[in-house]
Amino acid sequence: MVEDVIRIYVLLSYDGRSHECLRHNVHAGNKHPAFLRILVRVNPVPADSEYAIQTQDLTKIYRTRWTGREVRAIDGVSLRVPKGTIFGLLGPNGAGKTTFVKTLLSAVRPNHGSALIFGRNASDPAARRPIGYLPENHRFPTYFTGAGMLDFYASLSGVSAAQRKKLIPEQLELVGLSQWGEMRIGKYSKGMLQRLGLAQALIHSPSILILDEPTDGVDPVGRREIREILGRCESQGVTIFVNSHLLAEIETLCREIAILHKGKVALSGKMQDLTAGKGYRLTVTKPSDALTEELRARATSLAVRDGMIDLQFSTRELVNAALDLLRAQHCEVESLMPTTSTLEEVFVRTVEKK
Amino acid sequence: MVTLALIRDTFREALARKIFWVLFGLSTLMILFFLFLLRIDIVEGATATVSLFGQHSRGNENVDRMVRGVYGGIATFLYSFGMFLAVFASAGLVPSVLEPGRIELLLSKPLSRTHLLLGRYLGNVLVVTLNTVYLVLGVWIILGVKTGIWSPVFFVAIATTTFIFAVLLAVVVLVGVTLESAAAATMITVALMIISPILAQTNLMMRLLSSEWSRNLWRTLYYVFPKVYELGKITLDAIQSGTFGGFTAIWTSALFGIAMLGRALWVFQRRDF
Repeated sequence: MVEDVIRIYVLLSYDGRSHECLRHNVHAGNKHPAFLRILVRVNPVPADSEYAIQTQDLTKIYRTRWTGREVRAIDGVSLRVPKGTIFGLLGPNGAGKTTFVKTLLSAVRPNHGSALIFGRNASDPAARRPIGYLPENHRFPTYFTGAGMLDFYASLSGVSAAQRKKLIPEQLELVGLSQWGEMRIGKYSKGMLQRLGLAQALIHSPSILILDEPTDGVDPVGRREIREILGRCESQGVTIFVNSHLLAEIETLCREIAILHKGKVALSGKMQDLTAGKGYRLTVTKPSDALTEELRARATSLAVRDGMIDLQFSTRELVNAALDLLRAQHCEVESLMPTTSTLEEVFVRTVEKK
Repeated sequence: MVTLALIRDTFREALARKIFWVLFGLSTLMILFFLFLLRIDIVEGATATVSLFGQHSRGNENVDRMVRGVYGGIATFLYSFGMFLAVFASAGLVPSVLEPGRIELLLSKPLSRTHLLLGRYLGNVLVVTLNTVYLVLGVWIILGVKTGIWSPVFFVAIATTTFIFAVLLAVVVLVGVTLESAAAATMITVALMIISPILAQTNLMMRLLSSEWSRNLWRTLYYVFPKVYELGKITLDAIQSGTFGGFTAIWTSALFGIAMLGRALWVFQRRDF
């Protein structure tokens, strides 16, 4: 009977306040067996969880309006993101990455499974207090100035007026927009909006940053600055969850990754474990076109940048043969280093295998 | 703090829309009209002359009656054209919040969806209330200075206009969260305003309708829908005769507004974005 009453209460008011009530009962020493069973069912992980994000069998099914056909956007996704790490979520278009991120923010309600932020159910508004979020394709209201926008979103995150007054110039300075703070954001470029979005995500000193394509539209210098900011956040113990198409960026930034494919986790683990494997990367000044083509035929990948080319070879014999050819034409070698598998290779292998 | 931020955001967005400036501009024009163009000379409690655009007319009317007439005119303006403009201007304020790329960020903040939608609703009601107060108070002060009559009965127009706007805005919000269309929200709400005087002819229709079920249907529709027309009439009666009645119109309209807003919150809680 007691269990039924509690269950009904939880189901009726599953909006966070019920969690507070349950937690209050725990702290008050309520040891009623029925109460404890409900507590475990509602919130299986304690609030001081070692994971910043923990999902269990998370499933979201969309149904088409007229035919009722089911589309499983995410299908039984179970992920654990440890506190303080930089975690990358990868996947081809339509893999369910954005739906997964939206379930973490409670913008999408899962059909099944649970999503916890630092041990709190994601549907609990209090669980979103430590989150700093930068959405993909954000649409910030154009009637704001840069400073006004930061002020608004910081207020919603519970930052006091006095703190906002201090933090807004600091954040604008951090993302290189201090000259533009009083300008309407309708006049901002894509890259400037992205920087402002990042400042908005950081202003309330979040414990976890959820970033959807954080460097989208940002120039190379800006990208490096954003990476530096994220690096500083990591050193301060902030968990960073990045959803990006840019594999090179994920490879540079992230310590752990997961690859989503067709709504399921196809692969997950530490970056160094997943990319382990032999190979050599050779960087040289760009040779003649004919030699470039010859090298392209021998290398597993070739990328041209700023008068240099990056070549990836799978064996020592191949890289030595390439060196002989290059030296014969007096090309300068910038660097040669043994490499592991690239993330791109891991990604393609994983997605093609499934 | 969060509620205040949501209200301020609604104000900012409203001010960024030209239609709100049109509403504000019309109120200002009306105030200026009474300030500069209408001249009233009073002799022993009656209007000696009323001057408009330089044309003089002798008046022997009671000043109090004339002032109440002006109040009634303003209240009618607020109820008809003003209300339409307010609904038209507000119709886009909810769908704009639901735009992809904006709603996800709002939902990522530590506030409940109920809080978010009600904050928006409250902000919108306050924007229109402020404009109503501006017009009513402005005209009241000018007429008070010119005629010496300071009748507080005019303030009934603020209460009733705000009330009926709040009821209609609940419909705007419901259509906004359901269909995400400002045009649909305007059309449905204006349709409710238009059918209100038709439904108000209940006594006549009871005589004209032949079958019992059609009379019952009419009565049901009459009691369910908001009584925009009757509340306007109540306001006019209050201003001109000082009597305030028709509480049925008030509580049935309030119930309708609460039901619409409740449904809007229910839909908003369950939507995926």
